[in-house]
Amino acid sequence: MPRAAGGMGPGAPAAAAAAVEVPGTVLESLPNALYRVQLETEARPQVVAHVSGAAALRRILPGEAVVVELLAYDPGRGRIVRRRF
Amino acid sequence: MHQACRIVVETLDALADAAAPGVPTRELDRIARERIEREGARPAFLGYRGYPATLCISINEEVVHGIPGERRLKDGDVVGLDLGCVVDGFYGDAARTVAVGHVSDEARRLMRVTEESLRAGIAACHPGKRVGDIGHAVQTHAEGAGYSVVREFVGHGIGTSLHEEPQVPNYGPPGRRQRLVPGMCLAIEPMVNVGGPAVRVLKDGWTAVTVDGSLSAHFELSVAVTEEGPWILSEPYPYGGGRETHA
Repeated sequence: MPRAAGGMGPGAPAAAAAAVEVPGTVLESLPNALYRVQLETEARPQVVAHVSGAAALRRILPGEAVVVELLAYDPGRGRIVRRRF
Repeated sequence: MHQACRIVVETLDALADAAAPGVPTRELDRIARERIEREGARPAFLGYRGYPATLCISINEEVVHGIPGERRLKDGDVVGLDLGCVVDGFYGDAARTVAVGHVSDEARRLMRVTEESLRAGIAACHPGKRVGDIGHAVQTHAEGAGYSVVREFVGHGIGTSLHEEPQVPNYGPPGRRQRLVPGMCLAIEPMVNVGGPAVRVLKDGWTAVTVDGSLSAHFELSVAVTEEGPWILSEPYPYGGGRETHA
């Protein structure tokens, strides 16, 4: 099975990059507005996440409960989309 | 990988025999899946990025990634069969294009040239050469026969996933891209069109067809680069020394 040419990673041309949202807890704040997040899933226990526009309106602190969006492209990365209360 | 590739190629042999006028493409998919599972392997494409079947069946102007369904093969069809399986976590991937019943001379020539292009690409798989040399060999042969090679889809590294680095285009200048080193495993897969190289993907999100509607053929083998040269992984190790057990 040929892969699609180009820089979008391996795979089919129009395979939708479906985002998965999983709950997690912020462990620590990293440089460049990145955060290490402990996820409540077994497959990928920790990711480094950046923050979506809306979620960045207030500073995120370690220990905060958040929802992280994951894409298939990079298993170690995520995006904090909102807080959990 | 040797096992996985052997199962894929043997299954393709069986599918080539089963591809007759009137056979629904879904039936070939069923044969492929049963055969792979009987061998204790797992279909590699099923569920890959949401792909819904074991086999890709691409008829006539379809280039690759055709999804099996109710469509029946008919006399004169040129049918691309692309299949992959997983054994103990290692992938095998191969494809070939077969004629159903009586096909045109043009179709026969296209299939022959495409397979020869694959062989030319494999022949370039020696340590010290580069990935670009493979594509150059494929392109030179295919375009030398007056055909064109598809750009939007490329071969790929293969191993513990179906698609690994590097990308292996079927075109481009020689002497470029990664240097080949022993141990690299590559799925080399020329897709050759009678008309222009342009393709587009249908609304199903998978099936790629030639824009000009011309016939297209596709051959693929998984190959390891060894110290001695290319090893087609579905075949016994060709250079002696009992290395078969190492893959």
